[in-house]
Amino acid sequence: MASIAAAQVQEVRSITRIERIGAHSHIRGLGLDDSLEPRAVSQGMVGQKMARKAAGVVLQMIREGKIAGRAVLLAGQPGTGKTAIAMGLAQALGPDTPFTSMAGSEIFSLEMSKTEALTQAIRKSIGIRIKEESEIIEGEVVEVVIERAAGGGGARVGRLTLKTTDMETNYDMGAKMIDSLLKEKVQAGDVITIDKATGKINKLGRSFARARDYDATGQQARFVQCPEGELQKRKEVVHTVTLHEVDVINSRTHGFLALFSGDTGEIKSEIREQINSKVAEWREEGKAEMIPGVLFIDEAHMLDIECFSFLNRALESETAPVVIMATNRGITRIRGTNYQSPHGIPLDLLDRMIIVPTSPYSHQELREILNIRCEEEDCQMSNDALTVLTRVATETSLRYAIQLITTASLVAKRRKATEVSMEDVKKVYSLFLDEHRSEQFLKEYQDEFMFNDGGGDAPQLMEVAQ
Amino acid sequence: MNDQEKVLKYLVSVEKLAEEILADKREIVLLDKRRNHNREALRDLTKSNQQKCWMTVGSMLIKNNLETTKNLLEADQRQLNIEINKLRCDLKVKVNNLRDLEMQPPVPGLMLVPLSQKETQGMSNAGLFP
Repeated sequence: MASIAAAQVQEVRSITRIERIGAHSHIRGLGLDDSLEPRAVSQGMVGQKMARKAAGVVLQMIREGKIAGRAVLLAGQPGTGKTAIAMGLAQALGPDTPFTSMAGSEIFSLEMSKTEALTQAIRKSIGIRIKEESEIIEGEVVEVVIERAAGGGGARVGRLTLKTTDMETNYDMGAKMIDSLLKEKVQAGDVITIDKATGKINKLGRSFARARDYDATGQQARFVQCPEGELQKRKEVVHTVTLHEVDVINSRTHGFLALFSGDTGEIKSEIREQINSKVAEWREEGKAEMIPGVLFIDEAHMLDIECFSFLNRALESETAPVVIMATNRGITRIRGTNYQSPHGIPLDLLDRMIIVPTSPYSHQELREILNIRCEEEDCQMSNDALTVLTRVATETSLRYAIQLITTASLVAKRRKATEVSMEDVKKVYSLFLDEHRSEQFLKEYQDEFMFNDGGGDAPQLMEVAQ
Repeated sequence: MNDQEKVLKYLVSVEKLAEEILADKREIVLLDKRRNHNREALRDLTKSNQQKCWMTVGSMLIKNNLETTKNLLEADQRQLNIEINKLRCDLKVKVNNLRDLEMQPPVPGLMLVPLSQKETQGMSNAGLFP
């Protein structure tokens, strides 16, 4: 099973360009079969069967558009795969469904109010699908004839012969078309498209049949097949844009460049209202479809009471996305108040949520996860090293054990070994402290550190530090 | 036995629909070919300075008045445009039906009404459409 998952992982990686290896880059989906039953190890997911099944049900509901305006809470101890499940959900939804991921602390910024940040995040998670349609003429150029009137002046006449695999035809051209043909340097053997409405000429490449015309070609020479079928085609492209993108291009102070620079600042509420009504109009005319997406808020306990009440209200709007929150807190103080509440989330909001718990991984599952991470980081690990690492993961934390993979593989590379052995793992285990050992060390030597409560020789140590 | 009949019936319906789609596509190609021929003929007629011209009807050559030939061709072009559009619209429905039969989800946004020219322009100017 693991090898199948690994093969899939490898396959995907070879297609897409190599990306940075992130903490959750090994996750390709939720790892469910068609009947939503979780497979033990699949798509980078291990264990956590109940939570994954629950996420699968949520996924199905999102796809059917049933759960918009509700929220899901992933609750569990640190390192039990809450973020992994959310990432898997995002992958399983596919690229067409907007998925926004943010951390709870992201909303605290000096440039933007908290509600503005939340509104932007919500609108980033709602997509609209619109269609662009154009009539184009697509074909391979057989010949271009341009006749200049004698003496240079006067009108030029031109004739363009285009063909597809099924037909061939002539077009008479006026001065403007001749100019744009000359500008694009169109010659016989090129495959071009002409937009009927605007007259824009687009060179797609050279036809394969003409590949042997020259002995030496530039690097940018791209060869394409001669188009099939009719010459005059109708091209329909469906685009998915988020409401936030539409907001940004319509907020005049920033213009569309803000889309790329990322600094959008605050967007006026009038603009949002205008866009809402425009989108409603489009939906009425059948020009647009709404796609409620997913807003994922990690570390949701970092939100304060104002945000929670704002979310509470925002969820009631008819175009609300599905909000998924993750938290690792138990019963704790709600930020901004003195009240205690489960997960640090007010009870009225909790009431709207479906809560999905995650539980700590078992020994065997930890081993599987470490194995997958090893593959993800291109690191060969011997069996006993993996056993030691799994033990480290059970005794300290999974995150610490995952850190050791990279470091141990570097150590192994230093001694020119192809495989990470137990000694490498032991070495990095002694080099890098985990949180527990670090704490112990601090307790032991707290007198020698600065500003400790025990009161020690602080000034003397400062000199050392300098 | 009953199962076999069911499978056969299902396969027949899928194949029939698929064949229809292919036939429609070929039809569009043929119609477009005729449309292009007509267009070339119309262009040549405007350039000619004679009163009459030859036209083929089936395997017959007929000498005809230039004006009436032009009108005939233009009427034919209009009819062709209508037919191509109709075929294209029906094709969408058929493709969705076929996908339905094959247990695949419908193509997203296939039935959407396209944005107007101006709206498309605005969107692509803003960089939303690549």
